[in-house]
Amino acid sequence: MIKSQNLLTEVESKELLKKAGIPVVEAKLSRSKKEAISTSKEMGFPIVLKISSPDVVHKSDSGGVKLGLANATQVGKAYNEVISSVKQAYPKAKIEGVSVQPMAPPGVEVIVGMSKDPQFGPVLMFGLGGILVEVLKDVSFRIVPVTERDALEMIREIKGYPVLEGYRGQKPASIPALEKLLVKVSNFVEKNPQIKELDLNPIFAYPDKAVAVDARIILE
Amino acid sequence: MFEEKLTEFEPIFYPKSVAVVGASATSIKAGTLWVSSLNSAGFPGIIYPVGSSGGHIADLEIFPNLKLVLGEIDYVIVSIPRKSVLKLLDDCAAKNVKAVQFFTAGFSEVDTKQGRKLEEKMLEKARQGHIRIIGPNCIGVYCPEHKIPFLLGILGESGPVGFVSQSGGIATKLVTIGIARHINYSKVVSFGNGIDLDASDFLQYLAADPKTKVIGAYLEGTRNGARLFNTMKEVAKVKPLVVWKGGRTEAGAQAALSHTGSLASSAAIWSAMLKQAGAIEVHNLEELTDTLLIFQQLRHWQGTRAAIIGGLADGGGGNSVAAGDACMENGLKIPPLSLETKQELSELLGEVGSILCNPIDVSQAQFQGLATLFQAIDSVARDTVTDIVLIQEDIDILLPIYSRKGLEEINDFFVEFTGRQNKPIIVVLPPGSAEPERLQIEQKLLAASIPVFYSMERASKAIYKLNQYCRRQEVK
Repeated sequence: MIKSQNLLTEVESKELLKKAGIPVVEAKLSRSKKEAISTSKEMGFPIVLKISSPDVVHKSDSGGVKLGLANATQVGKAYNEVISSVKQAYPKAKIEGVSVQPMAPPGVEVIVGMSKDPQFGPVLMFGLGGILVEVLKDVSFRIVPVTERDALEMIREIKGYPVLEGYRGQKPASIPALEKLLVKVSNFVEKNPQIKELDLNPIFAYPDKAVAVDARIILE
Repeated sequence: MFEEKLTEFEPIFYPKSVAVVGASATSIKAGTLWVSSLNSAGFPGIIYPVGSSGGHIADLEIFPNLKLVLGEIDYVIVSIPRKSVLKLLDDCAAKNVKAVQFFTAGFSEVDTKQGRKLEEKMLEKARQGHIRIIGPNCIGVYCPEHKIPFLLGILGESGPVGFVSQSGGIATKLVTIGIARHINYSKVVSFGNGIDLDASDFLQYLAADPKTKVIGAYLEGTRNGARLFNTMKEVAKVKPLVVWKGGRTEAGAQAALSHTGSLASSAAIWSAMLKQAGAIEVHNLEELTDTLLIFQQLRHWQGTRAAIIGGLADGGGGNSVAAGDACMENGLKIPPLSLETKQELSELLGEVGSILCNPIDVSQAQFQGLATLFQAIDSVARDTVTDIVLIQEDIDILLPIYSRKGLEEINDFFVEFTGRQNKPIIVVLPPGSAEPERLQIEQKLLAASIPVFYSMERASKAIYKLNQYCRRQEVK
């Protein structure tokens, strides 16, 4: 899927989010294999590489994502593979390089997003991440600005809420951290009306914090 | 809150004089009907019919032109072709009219460019002349306290429910259902295209109106979503607000690039908005009327622990089980009765054939007489483990066992019992083959402020919605 001049890359999106105080897994743009390897070493393994292109919306569909790279050799090999498979899938896509980021330990996957309603303006969405979002549509919405109480209500409203509480011995997700994150995203989109749509997908939620692993911002 | 609206809207809901433009002595036009229905409803102000025919409607003289009316005019009802509306607004400005309601249709609702343009010009003239517009394409105001009926002379009793509607048909239906089910309105307004005054304005007025205790709304869309959202937030803080959003179609999910964009349907956003504003969402006319009824009758009463009496005679067992399911599925709790109550009931009814836990089957009382039945109900209601008593009264079963006389005694008991203790009883009267008797009983109970529903499902849904509001008020 190729489109949109207005799509910020993951690296650009995360920079903006970080400045707004929204926790993200930091990603750095590397324009060459060499740079990717040295950045990986700085960050520490395991590493994730993702294609960085304003034209590629769904990165993993075109082979543009490599997870769990354990050393420099693997990073180098993955760099070549990512670039060539995206070039094959989208020959016209402008490729900036790859984003390099540490592989976040697994947590409860959730999604937070924003889109604009023609009648009510910016709305936030919350849901469990992965296929549950797409298949079950188990998500909740609130109009921006979202207060702490709204945030808590929208978290509790989803059917999958028990998963966040730590179902069958799984580690729970920090509800206060998710609540804060939602309020911060609300403030962020309120201050930046030029943002048309936003996805933090997935966010990994842990017992003590929540961090956006991938992010996508689309401008008006 | 919004107190300024009370004076501002006084000429709309309590006009001292009304002119009806588009009345005729020779043909039955909508304007003619309006004059007749206001007149026969006993409208306490002055009615000025206006129309080119001359002559009279009843004993009211028809003026050929609004400007020829000598007295002051607060409110004008307009039913003339749309090509004449701008000229009419000039006349209204010259007469210092405060508000104009346009029954006239054929504007932006038919989505023509011409219609939209005309609306813009109307609004401009209204602003210049300091006139407020209701409509166009609407049936306007219903205010039984001031004897303003809906078109065709529909007029019920005055009461605590205020209602705002984009649709005239739904507003009318709600008033007629209200007449049948004792849902009584303070004011109802249908504002159609809402080019000037819209849902937000009327919601603000109803929030301030001391006669209105509960507010309902039927909406299809809004021209100013942010204002509506903020208004609803404020209104729901002071009065229960029940909203039915019509036209829940998928509009927003076109070619969105994000997951969020593709999932954010218009219906989902409206539901979220209503929840966030503290309003209670309903999805159809049944839910709307049931919810307004329970708010009218029980207001701020709270509690979801129900005692269920599934039947008063034969056949109570299955009904009790079904009623229990309906209540549990709709968010109510059905706690077991206390040991003392169970003891009392088993002494009264004997344990054979009775379920004395909850749901409670009191059908054994039919072998011991009505006094035993009433004692059993009294005993159930006195138990403090529950907040409310739901009783299914099936006329088809009771009539052959107790005859009409017994049936009357049973319902006299409900009325008397409600009067002498605080726990609400709610009666479910399922429709069946004895409709005339059932309707009579329904009227009697409703008149005594006992909420009546047609199924356990609908009763429990309404109780749950009442609690949803009260709980939110508490944590505020």
